[in-house]
Amino acid sequence: MLELLNTIREKAQTLLAERRADGVLCLGGNRFNVVQPRLLHKPEEVGSLEIAPKWNLAKLAMQMLRAAEKSYRLAVVCRGCDERALLELGKRNQIDASRMTILGYTCSREQAESCLCARPYPENPAAGEKIAGVDPFADPRLSGLLTGDDGERMARWTSLLRRCLKCYGCRNACPICVCTPCKLEDDLWVERAAVPTEMIPYHLIRAFHLSDTCVACGACQDACPVGIPLMALQLVMRRKLLERYGYEAGLQADRKSPLLMDFDHALPAGLTLPAWTVSSEVSHER
Amino acid sequence: MPGVIAFLCRCCGEIEPTVDLPALRERIGREEGVAAVELRDTLCLPEDRAAILKAFEESGADRILLAACSPYGKVGNVVAKLSAACGNDRSRVRLIDIREGCAWIHRGDPAGATAKACDLMRMGLGFMRHGKQSADAVVSVRPECLVVGAGSAGLAAAGSIARAGYPVHLVERGAAGGGMVKLLSHVYPTDAGAEERLAPYLEAIAENPLITFHGKTRVAAATGYAGDFKIRLASEKGEKNLRVGTVILATGAGVWLPRGLYRYGELKEILTLMELERRQREGKAAAKRTVFIQCVGARCPERPYCATICCPSSIKNAVLLRKADPDAEVTILHRDIMTPGHILERYYRSALEAGVRFIRFAEAQPPVVLGEGRVGRVEVFDAISGLTREIEADQVILSTPLVANADNAKLAELFHLPLDGYGFFREDYPLHPLETRQAGVFICGSARWPVASGEAVTQGEGAAMKALSILGRKEISALSMSRLPEGKLGHARIEDGSCSGCGNCVAVCPYGACALQPVGGVFVSRANKMRCRACGSCTSVCPNGTVQMPEHNARAVGAMIRRAFAEGDAR
Amino acid sequence: MNSQMTDKTPSPRVLVFACRWCALVGADAAGRGKAELPASFRLIPVECASMVEPDSVLRAFASGADGVAVMGCHLGGCRFNDANHVAVKRMEALGDLLDTVGIGRRRLLLSFGTAHEGRQFAEVLEAFFRELAPLSSLAAWQKPLLNQPSFR
Repeated sequence: MLELLNTIREKAQTLLAERRADGVLCLGGNRFNVVQPRLLHKPEEVGSLEIAPKWNLAKLAMQMLRAAEKSYRLAVVCRGCDERALLELGKRNQIDASRMTILGYTCSREQAESCLCARPYPENPAAGEKIAGVDPFADPRLSGLLTGDDGERMARWTSLLRRCLKCYGCRNACPICVCTPCKLEDDLWVERAAVPTEMIPYHLIRAFHLSDTCVACGACQDACPVGIPLMALQLVMRRKLLERYGYEAGLQADRKSPLLMDFDHALPAGLTLPAWTVSSEVSHER
Repeated sequence: MPGVIAFLCRCCGEIEPTVDLPALRERIGREEGVAAVELRDTLCLPEDRAAILKAFEESGADRILLAACSPYGKVGNVVAKLSAACGNDRSRVRLIDIREGCAWIHRGDPAGATAKACDLMRMGLGFMRHGKQSADAVVSVRPECLVVGAGSAGLAAAGSIARAGYPVHLVERGAAGGGMVKLLSHVYPTDAGAEERLAPYLEAIAENPLITFHGKTRVAAATGYAGDFKIRLASEKGEKNLRVGTVILATGAGVWLPRGLYRYGELKEILTLMELERRQREGKAAAKRTVFIQCVGARCPERPYCATICCPSSIKNAVLLRKADPDAEVTILHRDIMTPGHILERYYRSALEAGVRFIRFAEAQPPVVLGEGRVGRVEVFDAISGLTREIEADQVILSTPLVANADNAKLAELFHLPLDGYGFFREDYPLHPLETRQAGVFICGSARWPVASGEAVTQGEGAAMKALSILGRKEISALSMSRLPEGKLGHARIEDGSCSGCGNCVAVCPYGACALQPVGGVFVSRANKMRCRACGSCTSVCPNGTVQMPEHNARAVGAMIRRAFAEGDAR
Repeated sequence: MNSQMTDKTPSPRVLVFACRWCALVGADAAGRGKAELPASFRLIPVECASMVEPDSVLRAFASGADGVAVMGCHLGGCRFNDANHVAVKRMEALGDLLDTVGIGRRRLLLSFGTAHEGRQFAEVLEAFFRELAPLSSLAAWQKPLLNQPSFR
């Protein structure tokens, strides 16, 4: 662990010393030794760089790149989930990847189990050894939320989502949620000043919008003050995308979501649509 | 806002008693924003329109809600005419179907039907509060056409357009026009010489000053829309920019080479049909014994289609061989003989009369080519007689299908067109022949699907006619770019300041109407009104509702959703 | 004006989004054929099935619908060049989410046909009603509509 930290510190220092980055976004201790996001500019500052606890920096990185001058190059010290989030943001034209360097580091076994993470590492880590991920569906913390028939699941989820205070913590923490204005603040979709929150419009609209772009970083769940297991809403859709289209968000910079592409192609197998009759309208084979 | 006047139609007794119209009138009259509700026996008769307009003016309302039959009934016409009275703003007149959609299908539940009619009308009122009108755009049409490909189809298209008086840029990747016919010796069914056949078309392009021929040239870039396409051509001599009103793609097809089949390439004197054609041109096609094998690489799992032209082409060559040498033995081994129509049927019979032999084989038992060094004989199981025959052969001709031109993929990308599963340009099926998904871009000839040169000419002229319907106009309005008389519903509109540049709309639009533009360092989407067809796909994938169609925007639909079950709420 | 509670349990409330090419004409044909259908559905015409936002489906469930039907042209026959595939793929993904939380994908009907198939339109809807009837109410999800001025 110390070795990991030292490697990252060295690499950050080199980046700054060689001026390959204008700033390094990372976690760091402040003068009260409280760890928080820091932006380091000088090589000598890397002594305060920290890599724990888990703290997603992708959204902050995006906002910084936006606010800085066009020539500013940012290095980001981050875990695999942040790297994937940054990739998705790049696909959605929110960041210019050419201005960014990623100093990725791997997560520990404990962290992976805590996050139920299937991929606790960046693709090309600057430090650390990749370890095997955890299958979230094999863990009762997730599978327990998905069991039962419709009625049981409905009872479970209504009681969970009823805790919601509409603090917008999940939306704010999520690295992919960047729209301004946001539908969740629009009276058309989610009734204002209504508590308990209208569950379907708020949570299910948000969940669906993220269906093909959530990178399972868990920031939403970490941010929720009332402990709603929001990741469970996303993981099922992620798995279905993998099964049907071989697609996983956060991995391929040049592949857009199958829910936005390839409409001319044949639909995935296994779809049952009650057809009115067998279609006699056939164009050239797909 | 001034308000709505509602008219309920008795439809000559077809709506009552299932729907309680007086109760409906009373209930809707209490709705906020309703200036008046009138009950009439009919709405669709000529005298009704004047009465409706009079009541509309007197009420001080600025919108009209009609509750009557379905839009496909008589009152559908009335709606269009009433919109004219409201400044041609279709968002200010709405028709609610309470007959086909309500009274006629709920005859057993009058209370439910009345509640439904009320909900439907309230949904209509909610919709009209938020419906808006799209701004139109009018573009000038560049009265010039680009034709890509100078084969039979392209030559015919270019000629037609030039004869109609419009300049044509005819782009050809080869040095000269003529296409595949140039490679043939004769064309069927007239057996005219290929050069003779092409001559008038080639003369036309040489002599007509309106046709500019660009040889050894390709299309390098294409943007724009019907009426104004910006094209960049590339050739050895450099680049050239054009602006044209329409584009006709006539890039033809290629011939499939039967590598690995019937010992092609392994034994001498096994030829493709095209190779035979070249020998015919050079006068070297004669052989004592010729065997044609049909359906080579066609009607098989990889290419499960019939390429249309190979049977008549083989028959043509077989008859020419027999005529050149009455002692020549010519056999055609086939699965089926595809010669539709009376001319081709006669052509087929003339082959029989000329002494060509036809032997049928089954797909599961193809013929076997035998020989050492060069072909010697062909063994075939005759599916009709049940006998295995051995045919001595000096040359074997393999009839292979036409396949899509390798350039199609690049052109498809440039013009944002789909290809079908075989690589041919996909037509705007089913009711728009020769058109593609992009307005102003047409396809004809073998680029669209394998055809012989006669049919290619027909299609080329057809595509030219379709292009002329655009070229002949001085201006086109974006809202009129629809195949319906009432035009498009509207077009996509992107709200300033709320687009995050995510590109979802760009990805999903079937017509490539949305594009990201760099604006002040970020990307913002812009919708091209001419290319937009108002399908609404973009509106359903925009994460924050930035792109909307004003005539059917999210607030209007949201109002309908929220009002749908209000009255029926027993909870 | 409220629908009377009869001996039968109230019919499921269905919101139908019908594309105005095939689906709406099919509905019209069902009407002309005088099919008898439960009066508890409401139909919203749209340009294309692709125009129906999954968010609108969710909003419908939140506003009182027991089931939502999205109906369009036959696959391969979309007037807007396969835009109906947009609806299919995205609504299928929405179905996964509905399953996760217990609303169930069975409440979302995706069906495609052609304009002259009026009888079949009626049959598909009737089958949908039958499928919805035994399902438990969504009242637990739906906030009762208070007299809020916000969206009338």
